[in-house]
Amino acid sequence: MAIDEDPEGHEAAALASAGLSFMSRRVLEIGCGDGRLTKHFARVAASVLAIDPDREAIAQLAGDLPMVDARPIAVDELVLPAHSVDLVLFSWSL
Amino acid sequence: MVDALRRAHRMVTRNGAVVDVHPTDAPASMEVGAHVIGDVDAGDAPLRHVAAEAALKITVDTGLFEVDTVVGFDFYTYGDTVEELRDYIVENWRNARIDDDVVERAERALRGARVGVRPCVLERVCLTTLRPIARIEG
Repeated sequence: MAIDEDPEGHEAAALASAGLSFMSRRVLEIGCGDGRLTKHFARVAASVLAIDPDREAIAQLAGDLPMVDARPIAVDELVLPAHSVDLVLFSWSL
Repeated sequence: MVDALRRAHRMVTRNGAVVDVHPTDAPASMEVGAHVIGDVDAGDAPLRHVAAEAALKITVDTGLFEVDTVVGFDFYTYGDTVEELRDYIVENWRNARIDDDVVERAERALRGARVGVRPCVLERVCLTTLRPIARIEG
């Protein structure tokens, strides 16, 4: 398989043009899949919690980006303290 | 969807942001060399995208968030062959398919295209950033 998603980088460019900075931010990503978007900010964020009910995708993300707290759960299973993250990102998951 | 946004509102800091990225309700299309071949049958996806948009609007109308930025962009998925792309869509998109006549026309267009052209599917996507402006207690 040689499927390429967004090789032009339009998605990452849109994040940048929206003025979003992930630098030193605590990020929650909902619907992260295999980490297509996560890889753009995982190394600069203070922390990343990435969730997706797809266990296979989460396993791949965890292998590729070990600094990410990757959990195979849906948003309604997630328990977090109030006001504990700086950015919440719904990645094609709303 | 509204409940997920309410949860996000509780979890995000006062000066934080919630970002939503999802395709618009415009049909995804199969393209070869920038020529539109036909639409992808995305099942109920357009309805889900409309529902996501409605959920965002509800949370804005009810004073939970205000819209900060809206950015549109094109998202392309390429395959080496039309068949590969068709199979990928079927396996990875919920209830989606590419009709046989679209596949046939794409293969014909690909045979007539210059070397190196790859078939692709285009989706129109919208990125919205929201700022929390109110708190729900309890």
